[in-house]
Amino acid sequence: MAVKTATVVDPFDAPRARHAAGVFGMWLFLITLGVLFVATILGYLVVRLNPDPAEPFRPLDAPGLPHLLLLSTGALMASSAAMHGTVRAIRQGLQRRAARLAGLTLALAIGFLSLQAWAWLDLWRAELRIEDSLYAWTFYVLTGLHAAHVIGGLVPLVVVWWRARSGRYSPEHPEGAVYCAMYWHFLDAVWLVLYATLWLGSLNAAA
Amino acid sequence: MTTIDASRPIDLASRPDNYLTHTRGFLSWALTLDHKRIGVMYMAAVLVSFFVGGVFALLVRTELLTPGQTIPGVTADVYNQFFTLHGAIMVFLVIIPSIPAALGNFVLPIMLGAKDVAFPRLNLGSFYLWLAGAAFTLVSLAMGGFDTGWTFYTPYSTTTTTGGVIPVLFGVFILGFSSIFTGMNFVVTVHKLRPPGMTWFRMPLFLWAIYATAIIQVLATPVLAITLMLVVIERTINIGIFDPSMGGDPVLFQHFFWFYSHPAVYIMILPAMGIISELISVHAHRHIFGYKFIALSSIAIAIFSFLVWGHHMFTSGQSPLMNTLFSLISFSVAIPSAVKVFNWLTTLYKGNISLTTPMWYALSFMVLFTIGGLTGIHLATLNTDVHLHDTYFVVAHFHYVMMGSALIGMIGGLHHWWPKMTGKMYSEKLGTAACIIIFIGFNVTFFTQFYLGAKGMPRRYYDYLPEYQTYHVISTIGSYIMASGFFLTAYCLLSSLYSGRKAAANPWGGGSLEWQCTSPPPHDNFAVQPSVGDCYDFRALRWDETTQGYVNDPALAAEAARNPLH
Repeated sequence: MAVKTATVVDPFDAPRARHAAGVFGMWLFLITLGVLFVATILGYLVVRLNPDPAEPFRPLDAPGLPHLLLLSTGALMASSAAMHGTVRAIRQGLQRRAARLAGLTLALAIGFLSLQAWAWLDLWRAELRIEDSLYAWTFYVLTGLHAAHVIGGLVPLVVVWWRARSGRYSPEHPEGAVYCAMYWHFLDAVWLVLYATLWLGSLNAAA
Repeated sequence: MTTIDASRPIDLASRPDNYLTHTRGFLSWALTLDHKRIGVMYMAAVLVSFFVGGVFALLVRTELLTPGQTIPGVTADVYNQFFTLHGAIMVFLVIIPSIPAALGNFVLPIMLGAKDVAFPRLNLGSFYLWLAGAAFTLVSLAMGGFDTGWTFYTPYSTTTTTGGVIPVLFGVFILGFSSIFTGMNFVVTVHKLRPPGMTWFRMPLFLWAIYATAIIQVLATPVLAITLMLVVIERTINIGIFDPSMGGDPVLFQHFFWFYSHPAVYIMILPAMGIISELISVHAHRHIFGYKFIALSSIAIAIFSFLVWGHHMFTSGQSPLMNTLFSLISFSVAIPSAVKVFNWLTTLYKGNISLTTPMWYALSFMVLFTIGGLTGIHLATLNTDVHLHDTYFVVAHFHYVMMGSALIGMIGGLHHWWPKMTGKMYSEKLGTAACIIIFIGFNVTFFTQFYLGAKGMPRRYYDYLPEYQTYHVISTIGSYIMASGFFLTAYCLLSSLYSGRKAAANPWGGGSLEWQCTSPPPHDNFAVQPSVGDCYDFRALRWDETTQGYVNDPALAAEAARNPLH
């Protein structure tokens, strides 16, 4: 049989193949983080559903989840929507709109973190200490874990905002913003699951 | 179908540039994005850690020569630190990164025909994460060490008074991310950057094994990461979800830990199996038997690996139903493992075996892995496990798998690719002698421990009844024999750097792409896109006296093309 010689471009040198590899890599990264959060939530469920006759999971004198969390949830979802808009604007070549929306994403993200901190402070003032009960411990640790990932996400978000402002993205090259948006939507989804879990877990069976 | 490119002569003189001499200076290595240099740096770092872990192993064995204290100054507490350090270093710093990160980094892109891995910067980042993880382990030693065992079981790890527990937990956390990023890089490279012509079922089996490993790394390691963080928090503020006094569950830690650490056993063994598939086929000069079965058995092992963690917890109070299920699923791992062993045997049958050093390692692997695998069945069986749990039988079993198989595979692979990595041939006599000494030493050390364990000697103990002493002495002598074998290996390989003969491009007669580029390979691997054929069809290769290597013979290639294998 004749010797086969390659005439097709090596995917390593093709920008589209590289971008596809980047998106795929990002998916793997999100799956990894997803496993991390799923494990955490499963751990929470195990201790939450542990039948402990001595006292309810949420001690009777402990406050419920602060209503502020509803507001912060709204901020994070709005931030996710703004990020979606940023990528759309970049794909349409609307650079100034993209920069504005990226700035809005950033502002809403900082808003989310501030509201989370405020919620923590509220509980702290209500004398809910992390070492008091597993109810307090899991609340602080799980929301803290999520907040740490949001804080980590601020760095690429600032970069995207900065690059959008200086017009470094184009419809052909939206890469960085696309990767950042994937991460951002992921954090949004994780928060919704986490919040629902914590809220259900904070309800004590009619005692 | 054979498409080995015979028209491209391998000429060392016309391409003097290679990855080792491409650029010079410390920074050209420290900041390199070249997967080959990163692989070599990993290899050096892993081998240094192997030496340190080995010293602790010898200290443990020496201490166990007599009941009670043997080495002056080594109290029971110090002994606990010795075996903990031995385990933690060997598992997290040596075996897990040894094959994927060191050998895998070096050969994966070349075998694939690619210029590099998908994310070279991330790759370098992984290496620095590894270094940071190792640094945290040293910090931990400076802060008083740790005596938790490598498994960090709660509540012991949250209550022990040794000062270095938190740094080492951070260290392992960081090493986990190093492992995850390496895995991500490999999965993306294999999925997205295979050059034209390199289809899934043309990939060398080593790549299938590395790919299956990478999937486990990506999916299992985050569970370990979060578990270690939860232990750190629990240890810091004295309450946590593993603490039963507040309604937590200490067995939850074991579930989490083994959900990572059992798959991690396959992170260690799968790449070694991949290496053995290459070694057996290349050094027996015979087409690998059952290519698809070996390839898919790697994937099957990766899937099974996630379903068997409970077999570490048969005595931890799981329900009998769970124990039975985990036991049954654990048995079923024997199927894909045996598929590989039988296919290797069949490849050897009627093969034209060259008894080179890598082949000696491959044969050692097959013997040791068979023993390690079959004794695993005793442990997966519920009623025998209750007796053997936490005895030296378990120690012997996992050393046969993790050391006798994973590490022997790694050393065999190191010998196989050493000419490619360094451009030098080592002394076959020394290499073979070292392999045989290691094989004998290994069996004297660990086969004895099967007896020890069956007679009831518990693992991790500092002191023991005098009736066990004979076995301990034999085992310790074996460990000294083994150590001398490893020193001989080190001498054999290192001396080749100075006095070794220049290696030909294809000294063994391999068919995969790395043997098509010079030894050592040029900076960008391939000057022209290599043609991809069946990498286990060796019929076109002919031994060439002048270069002391195999070359493609056009006449043989034409004849092979007239008689396609499939």
